Amino acid sequence: MTRSRRVVFVSMVVVAIGVTAALSALFLDPARAAVGPLPAEGLVLPADARFVMGVDVKRLTSSTLYKQQRSMRPDSFRDLEAKTGVNPERDVDTLLVAGGSKDQGLALFVGTFDRPRLARIIETEKKGQVTWKDVQGTTVYLFREGEKGAGAAAFLDDRRVVVGSAAAVEAAVAANAQGGAGLKGNAAITGLLERVKPGSTFWMVGDQTLLANLPKSVPMGGNDSTMTLPALRSLVVSGDLDPVVSVAITGDAADEPGARNLADVVRGLVAILSMQGNQKPELKQLASAVSVTTEASRVQVNARIPYELIEALSPQRAATTQPLTTPPTK
Amino acid sequence: MRDASRPLPFLAGARGVFDLTLEGMVWSRRSFMMAVLLGLPVVFGLIYRFALVARVPAKLTGFDLYGVIVAVYYVRNVLPLAALFYATSLIADEVDGKTLTYLLTRPLRRESILAGKFAAYVVTTLVLTLPATVITFFLLVTARGFAGTGAAVPDLFRDLGAITLTLVSYGALFTLLGVLLRRPVIPGLLFLFVWELVANLPGYLPRFTLTAWLRSVVRHRPAQEGLSDLFGQVLPLGESLAVLAIVTAGLLALSFWIFARREYVMEQ
Repeated sequence: MTRSRRVVFVSMVVVAIGVTAALSALFLDPARAAVGPLPAEGLVLPADARFVMGVDVKRLTSSTLYKQQRSMRPDSFRDLEAKTGVNPERDVDTLLVAGGSKDQGLALFVGTFDRPRLARIIETEKKGQVTWKDVQGTTVYLFREGEKGAGAAAFLDDRRVVVGSAAAVEAAVAANAQGGAGLKGNAAITGLLERVKPGSTFWMVGDQTLLANLPKSVPMGGNDSTMTLPALRSLVVSGDLDPVVSVAITGDAADEPGARNLADVVRGLVAILSMQGNQKPELKQLASAVSVTTEASRVQVNARIPYELIEALSPQRAATTQPLTTPPTK
Repeated sequence: MRDASRPLPFLAGARGVFDLTLEGMVWSRRSFMMAVLLGLPVVFGLIYRFALVARVPAKLTGFDLYGVIVAVYYVRNVLPLAALFYATSLIADEVDGKTLTYLLTRPLRRESILAGKFAAYVVTTLVLTLPATVITFFLLVTARGFAGTGAAVPDLFRDLGAITLTLVSYGALFTLLGVLLRRPVIPGLLFLFVWELVANLPGYLPRFTLTAWLRSVVRHRPAQEGLSDLFGQVLPLGESLAVLAIVTAGLLALSFWIFARREYVMEQ
């Protein structure tokens, strides 16, 4: 074997070992079932969901913006921790929400929970308001059973809690018992999930059935004139909070002219925002932070908003700057 | 006995040239330089895994860094550069060294000479790149533990394919420049670092670059600044693969056609 052949052989061996290890990881790692940003644990979400959204809570709470904006933290977090020991900022890793169809709203919390303690609190403190039943080996807690808008909750395992309508929670429990392939049965949503930018702090996908409920036109000034909006077939939103707040929205229109039309509508709104810049320069900056592009029947809206701009636009800041602009009293 | 007046069959000739070229190409100063350049991510992976991982915020995962290495370092910068330096020299080096005459006077079809050399280029660059990619993947993705590695594996396979496609398609382009021009490196550099910037513009212009199609094959989308962030487009995967296949085949066919007909005059 010549020297060069030896190099080729060694290189092939390294690649073969790597590929074998990768294949082993692929077939042995439970995360293989994940779809786009949705972890395998989230596949219990209902198959007939019209939209799915997710928040990477760890990324959100570790972001500079979240740390800066202490007001974003609800007071109820403190009460919740005092009562149950659950600190959402510390204990929840991911929040997933699915819904759209009637009585199918469901939120799935993935994280670390003290399951026996939480179960005890539900069973004792909510006495009279809560009943529970066994669904395929899992306890489902029903709140205000039989009333309109009754809710339910269940622990799928030590890391997952589902909260939502009774029907949705029971469907999630059943999907979990059968191997957790609920959402995989929804080809439209899983197809959209594959398009979400990996590693996004927050994301949302919605299919045609959800978007059919959106308004078909928007009012344009006086004289009862309206602008017809082209129909959207799907929507994919993803965003990050570091180093700036960035949001990417991709909408699929029915065809190329529809996409151009929709892009023009968005550009028009951005232009209106820009014109307001004479009174409020921050709005001009906001308008310049938004870009709109089209590609075939797809419209892409990107926004990258620096923290300073958010601060300038926030009402608190406006309140603090108000005394500076008010004329001095005589 | 073989009729010595007739050239060797295409495959036998190409294989002979492949063996000869591979021997000279793998053990060369150029390959040493390229091995250093293509192996840098492995060094970075080792530093990250053993020194940096505890200091980097958890939100920046090893997989994110691996994505930046594949999408930005390899596909956009180093692999086109490797293709430029290897593929333009396939014929140009023989002309400069005045050794092309020895090849052309052998009973070989000209097409088989170029095919053998191009195959040797592809094998040499893949030998340097693929192990580095696989090692970098495991160093970075498993830096904080093995959980979630399986979910990243499809991206590894896709990246290995994208890397191969990058080397083959840029290789085809620079082989054409090599058979066409006496000094192909400067036009090649201009193509890479001037023309390919068009990929960051809005509209249909990016479709006239190779990099826009290649970037669309890779799934990693690292955060960017400036024009590329504002207008960066992701073209449909199927269309990207089809365009790259057609363009590569076209460029190679043109290279073979030109090389088979061109009269090379050696300077004395």
